[in-house]
Amino acid sequence: MPKVTMIEAINRAHAWEMTRDPAVVVLGEDVGVNGGVFRATAGLQEQFGKDRVQDTPLAEGMIAGMALGMATQGLKPVAEIQFMGFLYPAMDQIGNHMARLRNRTRGRLTCPVVIRMPHGGGIHAPEHHSECLEALLAHHAGLRVVCPSSPARAYGLLLAAIRDPDPVIFLEPARLYRLVKQEVADDGEALPLDVCYRLREGSDVTIVTWGAMVTETLRAADEMEGAGVSCEVLDLATLSPIDHDSILESVLKTGRLVIVHEAPRNCGIGAEIAATVAERGLYDLHAPIKRVTGYDTIIPLSRLEHDYIPSAARITDAVRETLAE
Amino acid sequence: MTTFNLPDLGEGLAEAEIVRWHVNVGDAVTVDQPMLAVETAKAVVEVPAPFSGIVKALHGRPGDIVATGAPLIEFEGGNRDAGTVVGNMPTSDTELVETVRAAHRTNNVNGGETGCPSGERLRAAPAARALAKRLGVDLAAINGTGRGGVIVVDDVIAHSARAPSITSIANGPLANTSSSTPLTGEKLRGLRRAMSQSMAQARDNVTNCTLFDDADLHHWRDNEDFTTRLLRAIAAGCRAEPALNAWFDGSAQTRQLLTKVNVGIAVDTPDGLIVPVIRDVGGRSATELRQEVNRLKRAARDRTVTPDDLRDVTFMLSNFGMIAGRYATPVVVPPMVAILGSGRLSRDVVAVSGGIEAHLRMPLSLTFDHRCVTGGEAARFLAAALRDLEKDN
Repeated sequence: MPKVTMIEAINRAHAWEMTRDPAVVVLGEDVGVNGGVFRATAGLQEQFGKDRVQDTPLAEGMIAGMALGMATQGLKPVAEIQFMGFLYPAMDQIGNHMARLRNRTRGRLTCPVVIRMPHGGGIHAPEHHSECLEALLAHHAGLRVVCPSSPARAYGLLLAAIRDPDPVIFLEPARLYRLVKQEVADDGEALPLDVCYRLREGSDVTIVTWGAMVTETLRAADEMEGAGVSCEVLDLATLSPIDHDSILESVLKTGRLVIVHEAPRNCGIGAEIAATVAERGLYDLHAPIKRVTGYDTIIPLSRLEHDYIPSAARITDAVRETLAE
Repeated sequence: MTTFNLPDLGEGLAEAEIVRWHVNVGDAVTVDQPMLAVETAKAVVEVPAPFSGIVKALHGRPGDIVATGAPLIEFEGGNRDAGTVVGNMPTSDTELVETVRAAHRTNNVNGGETGCPSGERLRAAPAARALAKRLGVDLAAINGTGRGGVIVVDDVIAHSARAPSITSIANGPLANTSSSTPLTGEKLRGLRRAMSQSMAQARDNVTNCTLFDDADLHHWRDNEDFTTRLLRAIAAGCRAEPALNAWFDGSAQTRQLLTKVNVGIAVDTPDGLIVPVIRDVGGRSATELRQEVNRLKRAARDRTVTPDDLRDVTFMLSNFGMIAGRYATPVVVPPMVAILGSGRLSRDVVAVSGGIEAHLRMPLSLTFDHRCVTGGEAARFLAAALRDLEKDN
């Protein structure tokens, strides 16, 4: 099997699905000639032509609006937003129209759009390039929000997202784009949406996380294992809707829960997970739920960003605290 | 043309000395091929080619000191792709190997709530866990009474109250016994066993409520018969409030008012309590009552009481004051609904019109079953009994 980075896996998933399904089109700033700001769409315009891989003006609201219009006319657009901080102009089209199309037309029209964008910091980028805004998206009924954490899941979940009849926001942890390689079979096999992925089986504490924080969490889990603590690590993968059942099942087993996300703490998805476990699994808990998150500040520029982004050390601290209860 | 700058070789070293070049201008190098050796303050390090290409120029010769970030090699060809237009993409040679298991549920777009799966583990309210920890109680030893068997705070409290505490073991009657050893001693039999059972039954079923008052016996003659006067007073009370001379079946919620007042007199014997019955106290003279009381007391002490003498009791009298004690909370024994206790007589200072006097007084304690007797009925019974008792004859 070929060993590929996450960015290559994303590229291959595009190519596979464009080959399989002529309705799939790609659009965004610099996705064509330049192959995308991170090269996610490199080579696609050469292979599939300018009609199916379109460079757009620098206007995110327009990109989302175009994708929406294409979707209503039978196409399956995959749009790229260059950085998550540029999401805001597109939110009107996404929140007011894409997310509502099925409901507004009483099910006559669905909205098979995928909007991809990099997620999170850690690459020393300038302002507006390191945001984690998943909670903003998850608050919209009708949107599915997905965030892979490995090349294999980027490949399989992107295929599933493109094939899904409803709008999917696909968040790609920029820090992981080229960090590691993984054997990924380029076989067109999608992975299931709306479920957690258990990356580590454990018995003492459940750690739920997603995106780039999966890397830090696995590092923390390794360290804790050396200290005799068995961590169960769940990659949330689909951030909305949340696979609460899998989390509750794990908490029933371990009795302890730590949630790790890079996004700010206030009203983050971690709060939703904690609230649901409190509602449905309170009596299984041995200790208060802990959250390890970004701070409720603007994410700093490059020199301080690693102080903002949760580290393995902050995660092991939280695990130790919950075990001390 | 692409320039390759001396990378940070680790540990924040600011510079390195070129030891030797492995490549020359015009060489084709492949990615990861060693290009040169440099010596830092710590070690000699081989610097690999960052990508494949043709070497166009070398900056520096062996022995030269090169600052970190300064140009080292020029490559021919177009711009190298950095993988991004902003920032630095972190890369590594690490291969990711995962053992992943997707949750086995099928895609459920609508997110149906299936509830928390059941398991073998203890389920306890967090507050109950905290309390159990503080009290040193093992949750596994507790049966939860919350919904679905959840252990709640009350369960922990009840469990810790039931378990003998260190203090009670150290100071109590079990001081010299280990809690796992059963008590040695006699098994309750006969009257004492019957008392144990009837009192436990009374405790579990009756809602006891007790009224206290004092009968002023100042006008009594010297030779008054306390017992027969008490029996007469009970009859007077029952005439005023028949609700106290009744049988009550709580489970059937049925009350039967009784016409005759049959008073059981608690007689203390070495074997335990025995309660012979004086029949129809309202329909007999004082002399007849006294004869019957004498006969039954004698029979009780001789253990010649017949079952007939114990039957059909409708009201109880406890004359504990013959020994000691002024007031008590006597226990109503079902199906009866009331019991009167008379305490030790005493000469009390009482306020009378124009001054104070010392009067002989009898403390009375009336317990009634509040499930079927009202407080008003009980008080009116007691008032009538007091009026009768306080008469001079």
